[in-house]
Amino acid sequence: MKILGLILKNIGRNPLRSILTALGTMVLVFVVTMVWSVLWVLDLITAEKQENLKAIVTERWSIPSRLPFAYAAPISDGAVRQPGDIRPDDSMTWQFYLGSLDPKNLTRDSFIFAIACEPDKLGRIENGKFVTMMDGLESLSPKDQAALLEAIDRLKANRQGIILGYNHLANINRMTGDVRDVNIDQLMGKRIKLFGIGGYKGLDLEFEIVGVFPAGRYDNLGAFHRDYFNNALDQYPQTHGGRKHLLADRNLNLVWLKVPNMAAYNRVSAQIDQSPSFQDPAVKCETASSGMAAFLEPLRDLIWGARYVLAPACLITLSLVIANAISISVRERRPELAVMKVLGFRPAQILWLVLGESLLLGAGAGLASAALTYGVINWYFDGLRFPIGFLDRFYIPINALGWGAMIGAVAALVGSFVPAWTARSVKPAEVFAKVA
Amino acid sequence: MVWKLLAVAVIVVGILAAFNRVPLKYTLRNLTVRWKTIVLTALAFTLVIGVLVVMLAFVNGMRKMTEGTGRTDNVLVLADGATDESFSNLNAGDLAEMEALPEVQRDPETGRPLASRETYLIVNQPLPNAPSKGPQRRFLQTRGIEDPRIAAKVHGVELLPGGSWFSEAGVQEMPDGGPPAIQAVLGEGVARELASDRTPQQRAAAKTPHRLDVGETFKIGDRTWVVTGIMKSSGTTFGSEIWAKQSLIGPLFGKSGYTTLLLRAKDADTAKKLKDFLTNDYAKVAVNARIEREHYADMSETSAQFAWAIGFVTVIMAIGGVFGVMNTMFAAISQRIKDIGVLRLLGYARRHILVSFLLESLVIALVGGLLGCALGSLADGVTASSMVTGHSGGGKFVVMELAVDAWVWAVGIFLTLVMGVIGGLAPALSAMRLRPLEALR
Repeated sequence: MKILGLILKNIGRNPLRSILTALGTMVLVFVVTMVWSVLWVLDLITAEKQENLKAIVTERWSIPSRLPFAYAAPISDGAVRQPGDIRPDDSMTWQFYLGSLDPKNLTRDSFIFAIACEPDKLGRIENGKFVTMMDGLESLSPKDQAALLEAIDRLKANRQGIILGYNHLANINRMTGDVRDVNIDQLMGKRIKLFGIGGYKGLDLEFEIVGVFPAGRYDNLGAFHRDYFNNALDQYPQTHGGRKHLLADRNLNLVWLKVPNMAAYNRVSAQIDQSPSFQDPAVKCETASSGMAAFLEPLRDLIWGARYVLAPACLITLSLVIANAISISVRERRPELAVMKVLGFRPAQILWLVLGESLLLGAGAGLASAALTYGVINWYFDGLRFPIGFLDRFYIPINALGWGAMIGAVAALVGSFVPAWTARSVKPAEVFAKVA
Repeated sequence: MVWKLLAVAVIVVGILAAFNRVPLKYTLRNLTVRWKTIVLTALAFTLVIGVLVVMLAFVNGMRKMTEGTGRTDNVLVLADGATDESFSNLNAGDLAEMEALPEVQRDPETGRPLASRETYLIVNQPLPNAPSKGPQRRFLQTRGIEDPRIAAKVHGVELLPGGSWFSEAGVQEMPDGGPPAIQAVLGEGVARELASDRTPQQRAAAKTPHRLDVGETFKIGDRTWVVTGIMKSSGTTFGSEIWAKQSLIGPLFGKSGYTTLLLRAKDADTAKKLKDFLTNDYAKVAVNARIEREHYADMSETSAQFAWAIGFVTVIMAIGGVFGVMNTMFAAISQRIKDIGVLRLLGYARRHILVSFLLESLVIALVGGLLGCALGSLADGVTASSMVTGHSGGGKFVVMELAVDAWVWAVGIFLTLVMGVIGGLAPALSAMRLRPLEALR
């Protein structure tokens, strides 16, 4: 208790130095917290689950994957052929559609990337529980869940309905210039026309906005009824001189399957791989995490750099800042430390006095920084916007509070050990001889 | 912009040096007296600037790659509405007429139009010897070429010595008697990437340890591919591509049609006219025509995004470093209060004290910053994989080289000077305000 009192007194003795050290710690912990939050999410989505996992079936050799829609039913069924074959617990088909709000201005802001799917796979209540095939929508707040279910109901009732991501709504808002801020209620029911681009050229679709995805992972995605998309493809020849659309026979991009565990996944995957129904084009079945990892593979060096260069460099810089402050403090207090030794303080107590001062400062500043980062990034900025592959924004996990305190404490410990050891080794006779 | 800012910073330092009246020897000697603290502070600068240089080298490498790919006298033709090769589907029947346009240059040897029909594909390759955890496959960019010699002329691509373009058939028999292998020409980046799949034995036996070379094989899909040549393509996105016979690989990966038509014009002005004609006045079919160099230069969105993130992270790290130097300088002043009093009594004005301490802070920053620039420069030429994307969608997976150049050094030194000035200013002001008699008391 006495030591703790002394530690607090020492921290308060040179408030300017303590504040500068704490501020240095806070900004560097802020950087590490953000870097680790991004890496944490990437690790989480690429980690293999053992239970309740999702598989993704796509074209075997090339991307973008384009499969005949005739594959949808047998793949959704897990390609069961023989008694004893396993069916997936659930499935969802995705048919991509890329359209522009403005056919003359082909920029990313005018694009809407949407999936044609079965609406109830977006989310439904089953046995009193909310069930979805969309990653990240499983644990919505009751308010967001209710809003999404209402949007899905409207989508089921309106084949030309579309649920859009927040960024799409913001872009529509900007383009129409109605209001400065996105007013979801105002955009609800608004009709939009999308002009197909790229492979979807000539396939122009009209929609009515029926809802918005909860903010986060699906800010850049829209979802609409697959029957509307397939009907539009079927009717295309009637308005184009009898010519089929380029994608008429290859418009299924992927199928998600939900399986209870890894054993079931291995069985279903083997059933699909060995099925004679999927030869031209051939398909592959992989776990969702493996699919995600493949998409992040081109960024592996960048991720490596953030993990093993940027974050450690911040930590070492932090240790140096703390080491600098503590060594200055120890040097200034050599006579005082010598007096303490004469008064009976043991070397270990002196060591802990210095280490404690640094630890308290480092851990406290680290925790404060992580808490501030958590609050400001998550609540004020609504996530850290850093598009990587299919991810648009990252939220700071609650674990960051622990990281912050730990980073501050470890950096403080490393940075202050040598000054603390120097303080422990102060020889009163030498110090007093110099003073005299 | 950076050069101008650096010039301003250097001028400010020059003015400070010119105004300095306190002997520089005194300042430098003080640094050596407190060498441990100075070393710690300078090291913090070294780290911050070193990391900045490496991160900037990454962005610089990406920028150089996208800006250095393609030619200004080439016109890239994609399907109407397609913003990227991977989304494009051209009708083969429309191409001959475009190739016959008078603006398209002709090969002096054969008299054929300098036009290359191509199919761009992104192919899934299961990773050989992949660890159980982590990605099990990678994406490879493959370009199906109809006539490699014409394509080489249009793209302006040459092979490294010892290589040759693939044959008319595009396949060759293998000594093991298995199915014929697909002949392929690789970019230098992808050749390096594929070499990472070699087993230790293969690596030991390889004549070129860091990349695949002529005669070596790899697998994509069910087929074996054999390398017939390596393109001189360092610093371009073609360095990350595999070129092979279009009629073989198109159907193999489910894309029989063409995605791209590349037309060579006489010069850049003719190319612009050709582009404008195809975009606005070509009646037969609507296409998206672009100058090739502009098409690749537009793929700078990722580097802009990374540059923004790097700038943000660096500024935050720099603030941390500034707090470090402030601590050092405040401690230096508290130790030298009496010195300051003596200096004032000797006739040095307040501004001389301010300049002296600012210069001291700048020297610490410069030593650390220059070391950081030197340390970060070790990353020059290191290869890294990344993605480049365009403002209108699409993109490419690339293997690029980190590039440390004078611009990167200029940014590093500028930030060093700014950190030094900001970190030293508040302590120097406090030193300046000290009254001589109070300081000596």
